[in-house]
Amino acid sequence: MIQLDNVSKSFGSGKTVVSNVSFTVNEGEIMVLLGTSGSGKTTTLRMINRLTDPSSGSIYVNGTSVTTQQPETLRRGIGYVLQNNGLFPHYTVAENIAIVPELSNWDKKRITDRTAVLMEKLHLAADEYLHVYPHQLSGGQQQRVGLARALAADPPVLLMDEPFGALDPVTRASIRKEFRNLDELRSKTVIIVTHDVQEAFELGTYICLMDKGIVQQVGTPAELLFSPANDFVHAFFEEQRLLLELKALKLTTIRQWLNNTTHENATLNGNNSCWEALEQTTEHDIVTVQFEDKISTINTNALMDAVKQYKHGLL
Amino acid sequence: MGFFDFVQQQSGKLLEQTLQHIGLTFISLLLAVLIGVPSGILITRRQKLAGTILGIAGVLQTIPSIALLGFMIPLLGIGAQPAIVALFLYALLPIIRNTYTGIQQVDPTVTDAAVGMGMSKRQLLYKVQLPLAMPVLLAGIRTATVINVGVATLAAYIAAGGLGEFIFGGIALNNTNMILAGAIPAALLAIIFDWLLSLLQKQNLRKAKKGLYILPFLLVGLSAFYLLPAAFGTKLQAGFTPEFMGRKDGNLGLKKTYGLNIRTVVISDMIMYKAIYEKKLDVISGSSTDGRVKAYDLIVLKDDKHIFPPYYAAPIIRQETLDKYPELTSVLNKLSGIINDSIMTELNYRVDYLKQDPAVVAKDFLVTNHLWQPEKHGTKGTIHIGAKIFGDGYILANMYKMLVNGYTDIEAITKTGLGGTKIAFEALSNGQIDLYPEYTGTGLLVLLQASQPTIDSLITDNQKVYDYVAEEFSRKFNIRWLAPIGFNNTYALMMRRQQAATLNITSISDLKNYLVHH
Repeated sequence: MIQLDNVSKSFGSGKTVVSNVSFTVNEGEIMVLLGTSGSGKTTTLRMINRLTDPSSGSIYVNGTSVTTQQPETLRRGIGYVLQNNGLFPHYTVAENIAIVPELSNWDKKRITDRTAVLMEKLHLAADEYLHVYPHQLSGGQQQRVGLARALAADPPVLLMDEPFGALDPVTRASIRKEFRNLDELRSKTVIIVTHDVQEAFELGTYICLMDKGIVQQVGTPAELLFSPANDFVHAFFEEQRLLLELKALKLTTIRQWLNNTTHENATLNGNNSCWEALEQTTEHDIVTVQFEDKISTINTNALMDAVKQYKHGLL
Repeated sequence: MGFFDFVQQQSGKLLEQTLQHIGLTFISLLLAVLIGVPSGILITRRQKLAGTILGIAGVLQTIPSIALLGFMIPLLGIGAQPAIVALFLYALLPIIRNTYTGIQQVDPTVTDAAVGMGMSKRQLLYKVQLPLAMPVLLAGIRTATVINVGVATLAAYIAAGGLGEFIFGGIALNNTNMILAGAIPAALLAIIFDWLLSLLQKQNLRKAKKGLYILPFLLVGLSAFYLLPAAFGTKLQAGFTPEFMGRKDGNLGLKKTYGLNIRTVVISDMIMYKAIYEKKLDVISGSSTDGRVKAYDLIVLKDDKHIFPPYYAAPIIRQETLDKYPELTSVLNKLSGIINDSIMTELNYRVDYLKQDPAVVAKDFLVTNHLWQPEKHGTKGTIHIGAKIFGDGYILANMYKMLVNGYTDIEAITKTGLGGTKIAFEALSNGQIDLYPEYTGTGLLVLLQASQPTIDSLITDNQKVYDYVAEEFSRKFNIRWLAPIGFNNTYALMMRRQQAATLNITSISDLKNYLVHH
């Protein structure tokens, strides 16, 4: 669990880059810090592992204030992933992954075993990549190693600073998908910094939208879309609104405007997004969805109609 | 004698000098690494100090090496210490700067990741910054090594040994083989060390880490060379000039004729007198008319077995110039016979010690002797008067200039400060100068390189030597010796008056006997 309590940061010149940020992230949740460059999201992240110290306010990791711990000890319990991976160029893949376990004096066997497990989970063939240097890997592979390195000592907390930002769109999408499915993350508290709206919607349990160092809104993706706290939040998603809405809206949410059938063999369920349903209806005309009570058969018109009804209901 | 014969004959000395050279280079390099690398690391952490420290090291680098060695003498005397300190100061800049640059160049994302994963400052330094900065750091050490191998040749000026002894001795003695015997090994050392370090630098990053551990041992090992030759010695310490060391009428004659065996260092004549005055040396190879003999209260040891040949000064002039301006002979001969040893010493004392302008001293002397006449500003032509780099030459060249300008319609220009016999004589042969004052002994032994039987037959008689060189120069070089000026600036062994009196030494034989019994 990570808790920020009225955290502010100003630099010597009197410039305030983060002011009064508060939020809580629980185990198993992912908080996305979203904003444009200069919004203070990276500074906020770096205050959690004390790469920067806050000017005021308190930060707690798993209930303990970060300032009461040795920075080195604190950091060894926090996985850290950077945009340009930050792999040590003079260390092999295996050595890179072993950095934090070595710092924590794990024995050799335990390190080797853990490395093997992580390599497999991140789809890196051990026999091929274990003893090569980072510059011999592709960008996507480097970022996977960076992720493995952050997860190596099984830290309860994971901080990620634009982790997929340096990758091309295709690689980014596939790594993001792998990341979402990592079982390692189930028991972790994760904070991700990004300026990519789609990434935020795809990964975030919650999104914290920041601008000029001030939190504009903290909430689920759907909350930010459908009940924006102010004009900034509203305007921020304007360009991709329909796409985001369809991705953020779960079929359960619009259940009341959908029909019931006796059809069997449903292909989707209530937790799937409207976007996923739309992908199917545009392909096969109709899609069948299994809800808790009944099954529903939906075509494109019915789907869009239900979405419209839902949005009207919000006004 | 060929180059290889020379090297073979002098192999013992060559080996000793090479080892000294390696030792000097690496002791200073070791110190520079020990101080420079931590300083470089410090300024990456305290950026405010970076400008100051790099600035100071940079300024040290710009001081001409010979001047830096000169500055060291009042502080540290002569010998190894000042040489090592000076070399250390030169090596400092490339090492500090490359350590600093190397660490600054490490990708900030990498250091950020290292800190973010929980590395302490120390771990960051040893596991990340130093290994990644190593190629750049080694490049700095490479630069420093090459600089030090080069500058270490100058250590011979302040009695610190090294291959400079051969180089400067060779220049002074007009002995090309000797110059090469110093210069070639020095160049080879630079090339070899540079190459070895480049191998280390190109090692892959992991092995370079091991190189970090080998390097200090390597440096200490190489430094130890310097300490080897210094293990023996006599009670008194002699300092001889590079020229004196290699001359038949110098150290070689002392050994052969007197059997004199004394602990000897090679030293520049510019600092030799000061060094004996400050009791860093006990015996030096001076020249008998040097002003500092008077200034520092030294006495000349009697040459009771006559090994130092007569060094009577006389102007030597190109025959071509004489043919063009025959009136020069009588004008230049006006000085003949009027300057004896003690007058020359007095004149040199005023220039060397009282720091009076040689032109003023020359004019005073001419005026006192009723020889001075105002300049005629003639337009008949121009002649160039040269002089070697030490006292006599400057004063005499000025006197000749005033005489020529005063008595003829020729305009005289002085070109003083010609580095040594070889350089002055080359300039005369090439016509860059028309005349300069030379000594009969130098003409016989250095320029004519007369055979030993010839030397033996002439050496005790001043007039015979003069007649011989006059004839041979005219025949071989088409250069004329005019009448001798009168003083004999011969080599002489000198001691402090006080010490010589205490030890009861008045002649070179006394000195030899003293050394045998103590």
